[in-house]
Amino acid sequence: MNELKHAKETYDNTPIPSELSERVQAGIQKGKALYQNRRNRTFHRWMVAAACFCLVLAGLNLSPTLASAAANAPVLGGLFQVLIFVDYTKSEDDINYNVSAPRVEAESNLAEKVNAAIQEKVDQHLAKAQQDWDDYREAYFATGGTEDEWGDRKMDVIIDYEIKSQTEDWVSFTVSYAENWVSSYEECSYYNLNFTENRDLTLRDFLGENWVTVCNTAIQKQIDESIDANGLTYFFAPDEGGFTTVNESTSFYVREDGMIVVCFPKYSIAAGAAGNLEFVIRPQEE
Amino acid sequence: MSKPLVLALERAERSSSVTKEETLTQYLVKNQAGFYRLTYSVLKNQDDALDAVQTAVCHALERQDSLRNAGAIQTWFYRILMNVCNDVLRQRMRVVPLPTDWEPSQEDPEPTDDTLIQRVDALPLEVAAIIKLRFYEELTLNEISQITGQNLSTVKSRLYSGLKKLRIATEGAEIS
Repeated sequence: MNELKHAKETYDNTPIPSELSERVQAGIQKGKALYQNRRNRTFHRWMVAAACFCLVLAGLNLSPTLASAAANAPVLGGLFQVLIFVDYTKSEDDINYNVSAPRVEAESNLAEKVNAAIQEKVDQHLAKAQQDWDDYREAYFATGGTEDEWGDRKMDVIIDYEIKSQTEDWVSFTVSYAENWVSSYEECSYYNLNFTENRDLTLRDFLGENWVTVCNTAIQKQIDESIDANGLTYFFAPDEGGFTTVNESTSFYVREDGMIVVCFPKYSIAAGAAGNLEFVIRPQEE
Repeated sequence: MSKPLVLALERAERSSSVTKEETLTQYLVKNQAGFYRLTYSVLKNQDDALDAVQTAVCHALERQDSLRNAGAIQTWFYRILMNVCNDVLRQRMRVVPLPTDWEPSQEDPEPTDDTLIQRVDALPLEVAAIIKLRFYEELTLNEISQITGQNLSTVKSRLYSGLKKLRIATEGAEIS
């Protein structure tokens, strides 16, 4: 054991560098700072979590939009849900895809029909985009364009959807298909589905028996109002292919506030500069 | 909870953590030479030992919340220190060894005549650490078991096997 004691003495006499106390102080300062940092971070995290919770509670009570968005959550939903079923972004062959297409979940053949229709439309659109792009590229090089000039030309293909409004029984949503490159192209599909009665909703459901007259009157009024001081308007005259009447195939959606919005695609009844045309129509009081 | 209550709780927590921080700081400053000795005996290099002590001190203050019982401060900090040393040793294993004709730098005084110290260092790391903590730092086997995170019986058997290798007569009373 003497030998061990001797070893301990040697150990105890290990020379201590003068630098040590400086280094220990440095460690203490840094450690204190890191500790404060950590505390603040934890505190902030709790504050943010608490704030978010308050916002959600307030939001559900104050905003019908948010409340109806929450209906998308599986537990809260009614007879049906609208879910994203294709959702991806990718780049391939100089095309940037940004696709989020919806899928309706409900126990009815209406849902199946709608999903199949959307799927078909999505496929068509993707094929068309590819075709447009290939044609453009071929034409570009056929007319003397070079690889250098082609550079990093890209095309954006965007598919997106928007739930305009929904209740326990029905939903109104749109799916938009867009291509952006040297020219751009956008198309919109409108869906108004009643799951209780398992059918598409029509303008008649919202505007009553006289729906054609109601729509035509309101739309004509808005077209007339669009004529500016110089007597000019984007709208075509009826005999030049302008607006004449709504019919069974006229697109529409239901706004959150219950207003009916009748839609006409770009170029259909007005100059392209006017874009997609929307006419807000107030449902008749019953 | 009402706002004044939350504030009061916060204040209480802050004041208790300030005293804990002070206790810890005082302990670290007071015992720094011991930390260095132990670290140096493991790492055998002045710069590495200084770095390790500084890192361990920094970790200790950063993670002071994990020290629940101020009475356990020594085992708690030694554990941090040993972990830092192990990290350094692990890093060294990844470093390409120096050529054999390399001479240790002047600032690394090797123990001169005491062969036992060298023999302790030649033992496997975990055994050497136990012997150092038991006989140099004079800690109890219980404390060593807490510091190294090993079972008490593991610590005992490693200690005995180490002493056997060192050819030191083991007298029970001296060891535990």
